[in-house]
Amino acid sequence: MRAGAADLTAYDLHADQISAWRNRSRRMRYGTYFMVAALIAWSVEAIVIGDTDWDRISWASMFKSARQFMDVDFSILGSLLTPAIETALMATLGTLLGLVLAVPVAWLGAANISPLGKFSYAFGRALMTMSRSVHELVWALIFVAAVGLGALAGVLAMGIRSIGFISKTVAEAIEDVNPGPVEAMRAVGANRFQVLLFGILPQVIPVFIGNVIFEWDVNIRRSTIMGLVGAGGLGLALHRQMSAYNYGGVATVLLVILLLIIAGEIASYLARRAVI
Amino acid sequence: MSAILEVRDLRVRYSAGKEVLKGINFTVRSDDFLAIIGPSGSGKSTLIRCVNRLVEPNAGEILFEGRDLLRLGESEMRAARRNIGMIFQEFNLIERLSVIDNVLTGRLGYTGTWRSLFRAYTRDDIRNAIRLLDRVGLIEHLDKRADQLSGGQRQRVGIARALIQDPKMLLVDEPTSSLDPKIAREVMGLIREIAREFGVPVLCNIHDVNLALEYCTRVIGLQDGIKRFDGAPAEIDKRVLADIYAMETL
Repeated sequence: MRAGAADLTAYDLHADQISAWRNRSRRMRYGTYFMVAALIAWSVEAIVIGDTDWDRISWASMFKSARQFMDVDFSILGSLLTPAIETALMATLGTLLGLVLAVPVAWLGAANISPLGKFSYAFGRALMTMSRSVHELVWALIFVAAVGLGALAGVLAMGIRSIGFISKTVAEAIEDVNPGPVEAMRAVGANRFQVLLFGILPQVIPVFIGNVIFEWDVNIRRSTIMGLVGAGGLGLALHRQMSAYNYGGVATVLLVILLLIIAGEIASYLARRAVI
Repeated sequence: MSAILEVRDLRVRYSAGKEVLKGINFTVRSDDFLAIIGPSGSGKSTLIRCVNRLVEPNAGEILFEGRDLLRLGESEMRAARRNIGMIFQEFNLIERLSVIDNVLTGRLGYTGTWRSLFRAYTRDDIRNAIRLLDRVGLIEHLDKRADQLSGGQRQRVGIARALIQDPKMLLVDEPTSSLDPKIAREVMGLIREIAREFGVPVLCNIHDVNLALEYCTRVIGLQDGIKRFDGAPAEIDKRVLADIYAMETL
């Protein structure tokens, strides 16, 4: 049985609209899938299939190369102790530098407390973006050029690279503080700095410390490769073993890096548990 | 008794354009425990925050000890705030600081920036904080972190923080809304005792009419930014309440 003409119009019109819209969006979706698939296929063709020397690769050659790394060269172990310590210290100093520099940047980049309003807010946010958008190795190259080879360049590179993450998370924590204590501090007649110190700082300190520990953990990883561009630490040893084609030695350095990172992981876990 | 606070034709308009206070006049005398009652959104909280300029009024005069607070510059206003203690609905304690450090923040207005950076309060201040914590019954919780206390205990910390300012007046914003009825009565009782003991007048926002009538010496009724009543608690009857709360029963 068919419904009356009056019933048809309103509902059916609506239903027709919806199904037409759905068909359209379905076509769009499949179209998008197809385009993404085509893009992936093209990328693989362009940069992997076309650009690789397939004749060089065989099961035998792959096995042979892998085999070379298996002969871990323990004779260089003693000479790695100093660079390993240097790497850990570089990460720590870099994090401390980043921590100190991140405080004013977070102050500028937190919309609710930025001293000169929108102007200083934009400036603070720009500093954060700049710090994070340049890779740590590129910062290291810049500082090697500026202060010469050695660990100082690595410390500066990681310090600058750390500002972005720490200050961004802290600035966002500042924007999210509970306004009650701020109001209370204003009401007792505290000045602006005292309001920051008592109304805001205690609320953001856990975020700050947590993120500094996290950044330190990341910086240990970063500092193991700083030497590749001449900024000291285990990366330099890695670079030397590679240049000498001493694959056993490369493997030894990689093992030491692994140990250092595990040690850093444990230390940051303990630090986090102690502080938070 | 003389007037300590005189508010004249106070007007507040928020940026959205709605006028929250439409010309309020009242005085607080130095022995008053003055309650402001009225429905939610009537402007009670805005009114009390205008007195210490946490909210900036658009027009009017706020004469505190004869001086118009609205004409003061930033540092003069900070100095004036030291004389006006405030107690908040949500207590507004610094959760991660100890109880005594919370009380001592009440001295920030008297403490230089460098000293406050190291929390180097004077010995007198520390002594005073201990005495006040004993007075509000929290002496054994002195070293605890503020977030470990119950609601009633936190409000007592808030009271001690306001008192250590050595205030000439107390602003009290809905002191009992976050508390259960029994604790609410204890807190109101404590505020009344302390007001008498320290000889400070109180201006108190409160939505619970029964508490207002029981603890206060004078009542102001606010409705939609206009003062509808100003008198003694004894004068308040059903008709007055119906007027203030614009109840549809009449």
